[in-house]
Amino acid sequence: MTIEGLLTTSVGSMPKPDYLLKARSQFARGEISREELHGLEEQATREWIEFQDEIGIDIVVDGEMYRGDMVAYFAEELEGFTEGGLVRSYGNRFYRKPVVTGEIVRNDPITLEWWKFAQSLTDRPVKGMLTGPYTICDWSFNEYYDTREDLVMALAKVVRQEALDLVDAGAKYIQIDEPAVSTRMDELDLAIKALGVVTDGLEAHTITHICYGDFHKAYPKMLDLPVDQLDLELANSDFALLEDFKRAPFTKAIGLGVVDSHSHEIESVDDVAEGIRRAMELIPPDRIYPDPDCGLKTRTVEEAKDKLRVVVEAAKQVRAEG
Amino acid sequence: MPNPTVTVVGSYPRPPKEGGVFTLRKTLQALDRGEATLDDLEQAQDELVREVVTEQANAGVELVTDGQVRWMDGQTRFAKGLDGFRIGGLIRYFDNNTYYRQPEVIGEVKREEPVVVDEYRFAAAASPVEVKPVITGPYTLAVLSQDEHYRDQRALVRDLAVALNGEARDLAAAGATVIAFDEPALARVPGMPEPKPAVLQEAAALLVEGVEATTILQTYFGEVTLGEALFDLPFDGFGLDLIAGPANEVLAKAVPDGKVLQAGIVNARNTRVEELDAVVARIRLLSEAVPPERLWVSPSAGLEYLPREAAERKLVRLAEAAKEVRS
Repeated sequence: MTIEGLLTTSVGSMPKPDYLLKARSQFARGEISREELHGLEEQATREWIEFQDEIGIDIVVDGEMYRGDMVAYFAEELEGFTEGGLVRSYGNRFYRKPVVTGEIVRNDPITLEWWKFAQSLTDRPVKGMLTGPYTICDWSFNEYYDTREDLVMALAKVVRQEALDLVDAGAKYIQIDEPAVSTRMDELDLAIKALGVVTDGLEAHTITHICYGDFHKAYPKMLDLPVDQLDLELANSDFALLEDFKRAPFTKAIGLGVVDSHSHEIESVDDVAEGIRRAMELIPPDRIYPDPDCGLKTRTVEEAKDKLRVVVEAAKQVRAEG
Repeated sequence: MPNPTVTVVGSYPRPPKEGGVFTLRKTLQALDRGEATLDDLEQAQDELVREVVTEQANAGVELVTDGQVRWMDGQTRFAKGLDGFRIGGLIRYFDNNTYYRQPEVIGEVKREEPVVVDEYRFAAAASPVEVKPVITGPYTLAVLSQDEHYRDQRALVRDLAVALNGEARDLAAAGATVIAFDEPALARVPGMPEPKPAVLQEAAALLVEGVEATTILQTYFGEVTLGEALFDLPFDGFGLDLIAGPANEVLAKAVPDGKVLQAGIVNARNTRVEELDAVVARIRLLSEAVPPERLWVSPSAGLEYLPREAAERKLVRLAEAAKEVRS
């Protein structure tokens, strides 16, 4: 008998192949057309879907070949945002931080066409991938709304509209990423309220991904986030979070980060399988979704593929132990 | 310097204004490809420092910094310059969407040679107005590092204070009349450990001993939890962020005789420019408690969280307001 569950997935972003990186800078310099770039984004998406199919990932993502920054991408498509100037991210790396200068309005669906395209390429379910209202607010300048809460709630409305469109189109899994939630625990209630607007009555399995934070302090309060599944990084802390789950039971499904997204080193199948088994002592396998700790876009294409293969092999190994 | 004095906290945006050439980044990219040398990089940094000090002075700032544009970040700059550290992985910097490489303490912390003294000399020579060098403070360096050697924060902060004292003395000898010690870790910031000011209270005397300059203890990002005991620390002035820590206003008004208050009163982390009247009113309110010769005004934190244009606009607004109060 094999174990039911342990559906494998990934957090969202994949590294862009070299030809796409090159095309993006050519497009930025005005050397190729938007259509040419779009064609290459489709090609790269197709390649990532094929790869996930091939290795047998259960819940597929489109890899976000057409997105740059996870907040700027949505800001560019929403009315009310102005493109911001460069600010430093770390060292001598910089990003464009969007500026809210008017009322936030979604005129057209943002991710829908890409989701449909990806889903047309595979029989496996493709996750709808959205950035959450709290994170979009936290990573933007606000020149328009009186308070952070006003801005977060305005964003919640438009993210909700996008989620509804994805569900109408047939998405069974909707992930709303909120990496910034771990920054300010004093605003966790605001993030919960906003996410509640997005997920209220949504007929899909809802997920939120959180990272870079001190989960010990946020747990078990973070179980109040109104989603079916929390996607968390465990590998980069050697599964220390499991100790907290002994203190207060983990009541949701978990996206179990089992490989480190920020290291070059490829984990061994045996180590990852052991991590899954440790989690299964506390959470039943039908509520565990093994995946990498975080988006893989900062890895090389080969590293990302190797890490995903390890996730799938480890889950397979544990399932077979039934 | 005119009173109240217009100054800044520390960092300044490195990117150019929209449409400008980002020479620093281009040079770093060329360096990666092996098409530029370290001399080219230094020239690009020199050029940016010249630009940044001039831009601040033109905006009306009377006591500028070099914008820390040569640094990877405030932690690695000193961790790399001192013995006893190695540089680890990326980690979030307070509650900003900004990251730094976390220093790891792996041996006894010592200073063998000056860290930022040459940078100070260059900026001072390039600037039309006085330059304030900035040292990341011992408590903040300890909090933001991972200690694998001392396993005792007090001992680590003590050794850091001694090492950085040497740096401060050398800066004063090189001509600095004002030196800022940045201690954002003294402020209560969401997601960060509760400040333990007692650790700095013990080491502060070692830090400023024999430093022949006006010493400023600079905090930002939140409310200082120490209350008026802050002013017992042996610094000549205290910097408070009145934007992220509105409760600091009470403390600001209690700065004792003989001590400088540097009040951070325009938001260094949002592009929205404050109304002139509001800034003027704020300075007037502070002037009632602190005489103008002891009152300095600045943005709430380093300006690198803003695009270049927005940073400049903030400084212009601040200087306009100070000018209006003076008249």
